[in-house]
Amino acid sequence: MNKDIIRTSSRKGLLFGIVLIFLVLINFHIMASTMISKLLGTNVLRGAFPEVRFMIIFLVIYGLWAGWSAVSRENKTTTKLLEGLISGITTGIVIVLFGLILFFLLETQTDVRRYLTALSFVSINIFLLGLRGAGVPVLFGLFTLTGLLGGALAIGLRSKTVSNFKHSIKAFVSNVRQSITSALPEFVTKYGKYMIYLVLLALLLLLPSRWGSYNNFVFGMVGLYVILGIGLNIMLGLSGQFMIGIAALFAMGAYSVALLNSPFPHGLMWGFWPSLVVGVVMAVIGGLLLGLPIMRLRGDYLGIVTLGFGEIIRILLNSDLLTDLTGGPRGIQNIQQPTFLGRPFNDVSYAYLIIVAMAVSIFLYYRLEKSRTGRAWLSIKEDTLVARATGVDVQKYKLLALCIGAAFAGLAGGIFAARNQFTGPNDHTLMVSINVLSVVIVGGLNSIPGIILGSFALRGLPELLRELETYRLLVFGALLVFMMLVRPDGLWPSSRPNLEEKGSSDLKEDIDPDLEGRGND
Amino acid sequence: MTEIIIEAVKVSKFFGGLIAVNEVDLQISKGSIYSIIGPNGAGKTTLFNCISGFYTPEKGDILYYGTPIQGMPTDFIASQGISRTYQNVRLFGNLTAMENILIGLHTKLRSNWMDALIHSPRFVREDNWSMQEAVRLLDFVGLKGYGDFLASNLPYGLQRRLEIARALANNPRLLLLDEPTAGMNIQETTDLTQFIKRLRDELEITIILIEHDMKVVMGISDRISVLDYGIKIAEGNPKEIQANTRVIEAYLGPGGAALAEKYRSQRRKSHA
Repeated sequence: MNKDIIRTSSRKGLLFGIVLIFLVLINFHIMASTMISKLLGTNVLRGAFPEVRFMIIFLVIYGLWAGWSAVSRENKTTTKLLEGLISGITTGIVIVLFGLILFFLLETQTDVRRYLTALSFVSINIFLLGLRGAGVPVLFGLFTLTGLLGGALAIGLRSKTVSNFKHSIKAFVSNVRQSITSALPEFVTKYGKYMIYLVLLALLLLLPSRWGSYNNFVFGMVGLYVILGIGLNIMLGLSGQFMIGIAALFAMGAYSVALLNSPFPHGLMWGFWPSLVVGVVMAVIGGLLLGLPIMRLRGDYLGIVTLGFGEIIRILLNSDLLTDLTGGPRGIQNIQQPTFLGRPFNDVSYAYLIIVAMAVSIFLYYRLEKSRTGRAWLSIKEDTLVARATGVDVQKYKLLALCIGAAFAGLAGGIFAARNQFTGPNDHTLMVSINVLSVVIVGGLNSIPGIILGSFALRGLPELLRELETYRLLVFGALLVFMMLVRPDGLWPSSRPNLEEKGSSDLKEDIDPDLEGRGND
Repeated sequence: MTEIIIEAVKVSKFFGGLIAVNEVDLQISKGSIYSIIGPNGAGKTTLFNCISGFYTPEKGDILYYGTPIQGMPTDFIASQGISRTYQNVRLFGNLTAMENILIGLHTKLRSNWMDALIHSPRFVREDNWSMQEAVRLLDFVGLKGYGDFLASNLPYGLQRRLEIARALANNPRLLLLDEPTAGMNIQETTDLTQFIKRLRDELEITIILIEHDMKVVMGISDRISVLDYGIKIAEGNPKEIQANTRVIEAYLGPGGAALAEKYRSQRRKSHA
């Protein structure tokens, strides 16, 4: 029993110690303390190092976390404290060993930056709390103490009184909410949802002209990914086809608009709007051509083939073979800008265009999903064989899903090319397909709010995280892992509609006698 | 003579060297309840799969109202009014009960994706009708109030009923039930037996039944066929099948008929 406690909690401590070593090796501790320092109001200039006290705050938080996470659901308080303490001591021991190595490097003035670019002497010294050799025992003491404190904290915050307190707060909030909703006049409760939409709409209308072109750029990217996500969701979420080559369909739309609207290589100037339609049609044709040969494939095999399709398109665009036709690796520059009612487009009008395209896509998606077609797609995803035996023409509906999904991708591609005034093979890499796939899966399959949230999280957040500079992708990855642990079904999982009431309501006069007759032929 | 709804003429199905169904002849008259029984692995489900179009028989014909349907696409066969259920319940588990039935109504509706996009009059009409039809079917199989449950969350007995409701949504003339009472208790089995009778009597659906529960089979069947190793070894009404020596031996092994006779006479003595 006692041995078990020691083993599990020392393992936790070991884990935390090793992770901290890695973080220090990539200089993450400096970044974290810089962030803390900024949060507490002491600005750190670019390239400068934060003060040691912020480093201490970072380490204390880390140590508390190590102690906290080691605490099990054990009943006895002393055991819990012991677990925190052991975890802290283990972390401390690991860090002492590491600290000794760092101290040795510092003493002998060995420069390891050739191998670990970030690990400078200053950064080592800050990690040793500016105390050089004396920092090592101090660090040990710090982790032991914080481990113990973390354990105590866990006991305090997980205890019954606290959870009771939480419950009473929750009950109070729901009570207040209930009394407010009951006090409100009926039309507010009935149309409150629409009012929120109205506010959202007003925000969407006002913001693009206010918040500057950089935000418009980020927002536009998010919007285009929402449209792409909806397209992919029709293929993946509704009809269950594992499609990884959506970048190819995106490219069809983008290149159609680009080629029909630029001085080079063809000198065609069709204007944006007709070429956008052409782009959508081209994407649909692409989806159809892709779909015909792969209809019999399923699951991973389908994924591999569509991935190959995406790469083939990109490589073709990149090759010398098609340079005369598509501009080759240099892409297509100087794409003519669209006009609307005689006025040329700027970043704000693009934001509005994307909002409209997004709204139309969402509207069309909902109409499709709640129809005979949408349900046929869902049945194919759930069980293809049974869907067939229920009378669904599986081939036809799978192809239809690919084509309609491709139309959305083509739409997004066309707007994308015009907005950037440039498109080239590098805009349509495998990463685009994978990003769209992650948007849909992280957000939640078959859930429009999920796809929007996912787009913001995956496309918007990395832009906003630019503050973190080189650690952007690290933090981003950590967020993704965390999210997958906490919300494995996506940020906003889909829910099935409630239909029974709809069918039970009395609509007898609407029934077509023809249809009713079909019931007993 | 009553009309023949479906007829199998010397149907054979092979899996590599294995003869799953060997020259089986069946004639099923309209409005009857026809049972196919036999030991495990006798080829009953394979025969079902041939009828519903999952498999194409290597030899022989399957005639539906006199027209050959073997080798036709499964969805076409379904649209002609042949519905089925499965040995292991195969519902669309992540969808609600209502949605399952609505998918069953697929062949009864005509609106396509463009109707859905513009909400054409046809779409609106069919949407209203299909919702009401689905609720009616829920009610008919005794699932009222369960419409918005996920199919996989329903208790097992109700899942079986939902599967039948989905099959009925197709408005079938021929219903293939593959072991509908498997895993049910006595009460549920009795209810389901009554329910199957109702389907035949009220909706005039012809029913082919694969079943292991002999009480059910003998209680509701008009005719019974017995398969063993893919060969039809007997056909007749329940009385004839019970007395058939080959059938008893198929179930109990060689010499089984004598054993069964001995058992019966012992029972008679002890009752007397």
